[in-house]
Amino acid sequence: MPPLLRYLIRRLVSIPLTLLIVTAVLYGVVMMTPAETRATLYMPRNTGPRMTEEQYQAMLERMIEKYHLNDPYPVQYYYWLGNLLQGNWGYSPTLQQDVLTGILQRTPATYELTLYSILVFIPLGLVSGVISASRQHGLSDRSFRLAAFVATSLPPFILAMILIATFYINLHWFGLGRTSTAFGQVVSSEGFKTYTGLLTLDGLLNKRPDISLDALRHLVMPVFTLAIAHWATLGRVTRATMIEELQKDYVIAARAHGIPGKKIIWRHTLRNAFTPALTSSLLSAAALLTGVYVVEIIFNINGISALAVGSMAFVPDAPAAMGFAIYSVLAVLVLMAVLDLIQALLDPRLREENLR
Amino acid sequence: MSARRSFLSHWRNWLGLLLVAGFVFVAFAAPLLSPQDPENPGTTKIVGRFTDIRPHPPSPEAPLGTLPGQLSVYHTLVWGTRSALSFGLAVAVGTAIIGTLIGATSAYFGGWFNDLMMRITDAFLAFPAIAGVVLIQQMLTIWLFNAGAYYSMGGVGGVFYITSSGTIMTPEDLPFWLVWLQQLNPVMIAFVLFSWMPYARMMNTVVLRLKQVDYIHAARALGSGHGRIIFRHLIPNAIAPVLVLAARDVGGMVLLQATFTFIGLGGDSPWGALLSGGRNWVIGPGGSVLTYWWIFLPATLALVLFGTAWNLIGDGLNEVLNPRTR
Repeated sequence: MPPLLRYLIRRLVSIPLTLLIVTAVLYGVVMMTPAETRATLYMPRNTGPRMTEEQYQAMLERMIEKYHLNDPYPVQYYYWLGNLLQGNWGYSPTLQQDVLTGILQRTPATYELTLYSILVFIPLGLVSGVISASRQHGLSDRSFRLAAFVATSLPPFILAMILIATFYINLHWFGLGRTSTAFGQVVSSEGFKTYTGLLTLDGLLNKRPDISLDALRHLVMPVFTLAIAHWATLGRVTRATMIEELQKDYVIAARAHGIPGKKIIWRHTLRNAFTPALTSSLLSAAALLTGVYVVEIIFNINGISALAVGSMAFVPDAPAAMGFAIYSVLAVLVLMAVLDLIQALLDPRLREENLR
Repeated sequence: MSARRSFLSHWRNWLGLLLVAGFVFVAFAAPLLSPQDPENPGTTKIVGRFTDIRPHPPSPEAPLGTLPGQLSVYHTLVWGTRSALSFGLAVAVGTAIIGTLIGATSAYFGGWFNDLMMRITDAFLAFPAIAGVVLIQQMLTIWLFNAGAYYSMGGVGGVFYITSSGTIMTPEDLPFWLVWLQQLNPVMIAFVLFSWMPYARMMNTVVLRLKQVDYIHAARALGSGHGRIIFRHLIPNAIAPVLVLAARDVGGMVLLQATFTFIGLGGDSPWGALLSGGRNWVIGPGGSVLTYWWIFLPATLALVLFGTAWNLIGDGLNEVLNPRTR
């Protein structure tokens, strides 16, 4: 088996393992509530407001009976996990929807936003870090350090407020939400086929480039807000590792051989600096997702964050909160696996030896 | 000594220290700078009629103007400093201690114990703080609901609850632990629970390397216990990166807290509440941001300066303690 494949498999196996730990802890937390609350985790769809109080109580009793909710923790956890794996994530009273349906419906919006932010901040962060390191104490280094410093000290929501005030309210260049109202109707109509869920791509695939353009225009502000903070962090880490790397013997040897400075930096040193730089992004994957949710809420994008907002309505909604937590952890794990894979592609040492 | 001298030889570090000193001064002098309303103490003060929804420009009672509802911006700004400083320090110190202890002990004992602890650390690393906030908030709501409180309201007279039958409940009708739990800040708990992992990982790598060093073996041979080795030898020698991260976290955590308050997920950041309370008035007539400048400018400046101050200190410490990555 090629080393890369073996590395990938080992990496993917660790996802369910981590999920098992997380869900076990989550259910442990839920054990601190009475059995009636735990029964709501199993509520099927449409048990909504039409039921009378007695019918609802009877249903709760049935659920407690059926899923052994008065049994010890391991038994309950087993039944709940099985239910979860079968796609029954419960019914959320605040969303008025099955939790899993609600999540899947909103995934593309979150996914699109995250994808574009990563596509913007990783290349930009690496490049600006490298340029800054190769001209240490020069003008571009100073200006990068200043910009990165401002970016890390400025809270994203203030940046978002400034952007909204300037480009939405005053200049009308970019909009809030995912699409303009008119295009939103087209997207939700029958004629518009969903291929990837990403509006920017689906517009092209449906031969409606105007929709893609509109979706892109709505992505500019949230992507900029998200990318700016992570660009600064990644750039600073890249700069630090590059400076360290540039002082190593092999760089001096390469210089002595007469290899041009540009080639040394971009071909040799950068590859070695990749790993620590990407590791920093890997470790902040959870922070990135938190940022995505925050930006979604501020820019009024109906993504996964809708489950979090619903939980602030002070209505007991255990299924939505649990679904939100589990799905977020899953998303972070996938994000980490992707970054890990990029790392392994760029750095053969990682895939051949288990360094962790 | 030399580390201290080189820390103080950069103007940027002085700027950071000066800013922090300013915030500390405002935090301690808050009762003098803006006395609280004895009738209704707290980080907000109403000057004028509560029903007046127009923000008013600076006046003698409210030196930085008022928000809709006639909340004094100056008062919240001053008292918010105290809240921000204590929140940031509590979270940063709490996470640093938890992370350091977990990282150091698991590395010291090594073997399967270390594997298990690092596996748990990784699991926590995949948990976004926002999900933690939502979960803790939900648990509180569920417990309240099961205690009979249907809907909780905070008002001028304190917090009260409405039961499912429509009657009003006061906190005295609830179990004491639930009242006590409500005093806690869910965002603070979530931040402490979900930000110790970087400290643990950093500590873990350093201690794994350090514990092979001769002087640790010597200490062991001289009869030092595990606790003494960990606390007297390992942690002090590996603490530098922890200090850097903790200094940056003081600012970072406060900014994140304000973010959560701004988007309506709790957190009780007075500065964040200032910005969310005035967000509909940022743009004045004619699209001008200058008309109601006092709505957003003071709180924005306070937050940015707070973040800047701790970032400067963190960067300064980093340059002094880890000179290689300059």
